[in-house]
Amino acid sequence: MSAAAARPLVTVQSLESDMATDGAAANSVPLPDVMRAAIRPDIVTFVHGQISKNARQPYAVSNRAGHQTSAESWGTGRAVSRIPRVAGGGTHRAGQGAFGNMCRGGRMFAPTKIWRRWHRQVNVTQKRHAVVSAIAASAVPSLVLARGHKIEEVPELPLVVSDAAEAVEKTSAALKVLKQIGAHPDAEKAKDSQAIRAGKGKARNRRYVSRKGPLVVYGNEGAKLVKAFRNIPGVEIAHVSRLNLLKLAPGGHLGRFVIWTKYAFEKLDSIYGTFDKVSEKKNGYVLPRAKMINADLARIINSDEVQSVVKPIKKEVKKAPLKKNPLKNLNVMLKLNPYAKAAKRMALLAEAQRVKAKQDKLDKKRKPITKIITYFCCLSMHLRFWVYLYFIGSLLLVSQSRASLMQPGWKLPCPVYLSHSVICLLQEEASAINSASKSWYKTMISDSDYTEFENFTKWLGASQ
Amino acid sequence: MATVPGQLIWEIVKKNNSFLVKEFGNGTASVKFSKEPNNLYNIHSFKHSGLANKKTVTIQPGKDQTVVLATTKTKKQNKPSTLLNKSVMKKEFHRMAKAVSNQVCDNYYRPDLKKAALARLSVVHRSLKVAKSGSKKRNRQSS
Repeated sequence: MSAAAARPLVTVQSLESDMATDGAAANSVPLPDVMRAAIRPDIVTFVHGQISKNARQPYAVSNRAGHQTSAESWGTGRAVSRIPRVAGGGTHRAGQGAFGNMCRGGRMFAPTKIWRRWHRQVNVTQKRHAVVSAIAASAVPSLVLARGHKIEEVPELPLVVSDAAEAVEKTSAALKVLKQIGAHPDAEKAKDSQAIRAGKGKARNRRYVSRKGPLVVYGNEGAKLVKAFRNIPGVEIAHVSRLNLLKLAPGGHLGRFVIWTKYAFEKLDSIYGTFDKVSEKKNGYVLPRAKMINADLARIINSDEVQSVVKPIKKEVKKAPLKKNPLKNLNVMLKLNPYAKAAKRMALLAEAQRVKAKQDKLDKKRKPITKIITYFCCLSMHLRFWVYLYFIGSLLLVSQSRASLMQPGWKLPCPVYLSHSVICLLQEEASAINSASKSWYKTMISDSDYTEFENFTKWLGASQ
Repeated sequence: MATVPGQLIWEIVKKNNSFLVKEFGNGTASVKFSKEPNNLYNIHSFKHSGLANKKTVTIQPGKDQTVVLATTKTKKQNKPSTLLNKSVMKKEFHRMAKAVSNQVCDNYYRPDLKKAALARLSVVHRSLKVAKSGSKKRNRQSS
């Protein structure tokens, strides 16, 4: 998978002090496999959290605090609470509560002990995995930028400097080196950020805080570089074989800006091994494999192998139509039940017929007197009186002569005002009413099933 | 450099990074902005992110009423100093807009950013016009 030729080359930045003898080929180093390892922020966060507990110093409250009294409870019956009280007399302290966490001068709740588990153990492989991830992350410009380092002027990441840097003795020279390789803005950022800590820590010997600058990694023991760079604010140094996760991923965040010397860079391969080769320095250790060798999802999805098997995109999105109520909406009802139309039609016709039949029946039974009524209303009061009289009179006359039914031609004395036609009409109306009432009378009798009514009238002697 | 793919970078960066700004509320109620220089809308999202994408577009105000249009070169991902194709523009607005849309979409660089690029151009251009009066707003995207 990784022949030396296939690995990308990293150019070594030359410094002023370098002899300008090297050709381009000698000035580049192949990328060690560590930088290709899987980047696992979850492992790094976990391991960092655990490891950072290992430098703690125990703290605890004094063993005897709060118990250096011979206090005893006064028991009940003395009008005081039952808390143990300090024995003796002659001083303020006498009779005060003691021993409880709620008492003034008493022992605290759960006094802190020094045998608290301060340190954490982490599996060696996990620790190595974390370091390897952190190194790999330091080679990705996005991650280093995201962590907050100012690397816009850095010529290349990972940043490798020629070995001349290891021989730098003076801090002023070290600063010049940083400027040449474009790392100065980051160191400057760290210097500018020095401030007094917020919070109680400032009174607890942690007065100042500042940002982290670049981490310089060297390969030769005892290089002068250490003394030159260590006083620059923000800059830290580390030897390759002793890389510390707390420095590579400060705060548990991946992507520290690292400056490698050429010697250190070349040593990385032997320290961590490659994906195939076992590490020389770490017994039996092989670099961890990633879950996905090719994690570029976009490329995978757009690749020919995938696209050729994938179904085409659905451009048209089918929208569900609004449901309409068939009981209210005729067309929807017909879609469901086509017979509904015929049924409805029949029902309507039947209804119309029924209504008509009823109306006819009623009309027959009730003959309206429209002509007379309208005429009646037009008359004056005086005339109305006469018409009324005449009407009643004719009714009476008609009823009296029931046995011998209506004889046309009989006359009633009537005033001249009423015209002849009106008189005839009135007489007609009267007779119609009379016959209707007679038939109603008959049906009443027959309905009541009173068959002996005829006999009854004979007894009464009424002659109708 | 076997490039770490953008999606991976996004997964690492999306929860927390030095450019992330959360405003207006806590938890899910907040809006997430991003201060990185290569982000056109300054929104914290994969599409607009200047960290997680190989090809990004950035439009910043330059010195003296100029606008700087910069695109990242895909082949130089791990060389931050030579990463950007910068071009300083000092033309009238329509010419600049044409230039921007040429660079961004007409050559298929990042056609999905066309609207964002043009919007940003007009805002930057307008801010330059008002530069004389009033207090200067600090450009938090620096770069």
